Amino acid sequence: MLFLADINIGQLVDKYFNLKLALEFLPHLLNAAKIAVIFTLIGEFFGIVIGLFVSLARISNVMILKYPAAFYVNLFCGTPLLVQLMFIYYALPYVGINLPPALAGVIGLSLNSGAYVAEIFRAGILSIPKGQMEAARSLGMSYAQAMRYVIIPQAFRVVIPPLTNEFVALLKDSSLLYVIQVPEIAYRMRSLASATFNATSYTLAALIYLAMTIPLTYLAAYLEKRLSRYTSHA
Amino acid sequence: MPENPEYVVEVRDLKKSFGNHEILKGINLKVRPSEVVCIIGPSGSGKSTLLRCVNLLEKPTSGQIFIEGVEITTQGVDVNKLRQKVGIVFQSYNLFPHLTVEQNLILAPLKVQKRNREECLEKARKLLKRIGLEEKLHAYPDQLSGGQQQRVAIARALMMDPDIMLFDEVTSALDPELVKEVLDAMKELAAAGMTMLVVTHEMGFAREVADRVVFMDGGVIVEEGVPEKIFSSPEHPRTREFLSRVLNV
Repeated sequence: MLFLADINIGQLVDKYFNLKLALEFLPHLLNAAKIAVIFTLIGEFFGIVIGLFVSLARISNVMILKYPAAFYVNLFCGTPLLVQLMFIYYALPYVGINLPPALAGVIGLSLNSGAYVAEIFRAGILSIPKGQMEAARSLGMSYAQAMRYVIIPQAFRVVIPPLTNEFVALLKDSSLLYVIQVPEIAYRMRSLASATFNATSYTLAALIYLAMTIPLTYLAAYLEKRLSRYTSHA
Repeated sequence: MPENPEYVVEVRDLKKSFGNHEILKGINLKVRPSEVVCIIGPSGSGKSTLLRCVNLLEKPTSGQIFIEGVEITTQGVDVNKLRQKVGIVFQSYNLFPHLTVEQNLILAPLKVQKRNREECLEKARKLLKRIGLEEKLHAYPDQLSGGQQQRVAIARALMMDPDIMLFDEVTSALDPELVKEVLDAMKELAAAGMTMLVVTHEMGFAREVADRVVFMDGGVIVEEGVPEKIFSSPEHPRTREFLSRVLNV
C-alpha cells in the first residue's frame, strides 16, 4: 500500500514537474509538437477534400455513389483510429504493402478525418434552407451549379466552427501516431520519461496540448458567433 | 410544332399527389401573353402546388403542361432551359444571403446564360433603378427590409428575361406596411406587359390588376372569370363563402 501522506510535496514536484528537466525537455517536445501539427494539418487538408466529395456523394440520389460513401463513413467512424493506423502500418505488409511511418500516418489521419468531415459537411449542407436550392434551380441552374455557387459557399460558413473542433480532435488524436513510430509529442513524451525515470515529460506534453487546443476552442466559439449572420434563416 | 402558341402556359388535366394525398385533382388553365391571372382560394387548396408544377419544382403525377406551346411534361425535357423562361418569386424571398444584391442578380445570367459580365451589370443596375433600389447594389440581403428583399427577388427573376412570372404568395411573409411596395412593383410589371400567374391573398390586388381571377378549392378550379364577376357576383356558393370570409376580415 502506498500512503499519500508519506510523499512530500517536494518529491511530488520533482517527479511530475522538475523544472530543470522541463527546460531540457521543452525543445524536444516543441519539436515533436511541430511534427504533430504538420501531420494534423495535412490530415485535415486531405480530410476536407475527401469529406467534401463524400458528403456530396452521400446526399446524392445516385446509388453507386451514395452507398459506398455511407460505407466509408461507417467504417472510419465506427473503428478506432488506433486500429486504423495499426492496420495500415502493421497489417498491410501481409499483402506486400509496406508504408513508411510518415506516409502510413498521413493516410490514416486523412481517411479518418475525411469520414468525420464528411458528416460535418453533410450536416452543413442539409442545414441550408430548402428554398435556397429551389431558388437556384428556378433560375435555371443545374444541381451542380446550385451546389457550387449557392449551397456549398453557405455550408462552408456553417461548418467552420465544427470543422475547427474537428481539427482540435484530430490534433489530440495525432498522439496515436506514436504506435507507428512517428516522433510526435506522445512518442517523445514516452522516450523522455523512460530515459530519465521521471514523469515531467508527461506533464509537459499535456500542457503543450492544452496550449494548442484551448485557443482553438475559443476560436471556434468566436467564429460560430461571427459567421451566423451570413447564413439564411428563412 | 407548338400546339397552341397563343398561350404562354397551358395546363391540361393536371393531377398531383403526395403519397396517397391528392392535392391537384385535374386542373385546366390557359394563360395568354401579357395576361395577369390571379389564383385565390383557401390554404391547402393546391394553389402553390399548381404554381410549382408550372416550373417543375413539383413533378406532376399526370396531365400535361405546355409553355409557349411546348410540352414540358414529357420525358427528356431540359428542365434548366425551361426554368429560364419561367421566373418565380417565393413567399420567403430566398435571396442568396452570402451574395450582395448585385451578385444575386447577375449569378444566374453569368453562369447559366453565359452572358457578358458588363451587360449583366448594366441590366442589374437598370432593374434595380426600376424598383427603386439602385443604392442597395452592394448591400447584403440581411441589410434589407423584407419588402426590399422581395423586390430584389423579383428583379433577380427578371434578369433571366422570362416569358412568364410566377408569384407564390409573395406578400404573405411581409409586415403590413411593406406589402404595398411589393404590390406596386408587381403592378408596374403587369402594366409593362409581363405575363403573370399570381397566387395571392391580396384581394385588392387581384381585383385591381388581374385580367382573370381563378378560385381554387380542394384541388380543383371551382370558378374563374374577370375580377368584377368573381368579386361582385360569384356563381358558386364556395366562392361566395370564401370571399365573404376574406373580405370581411
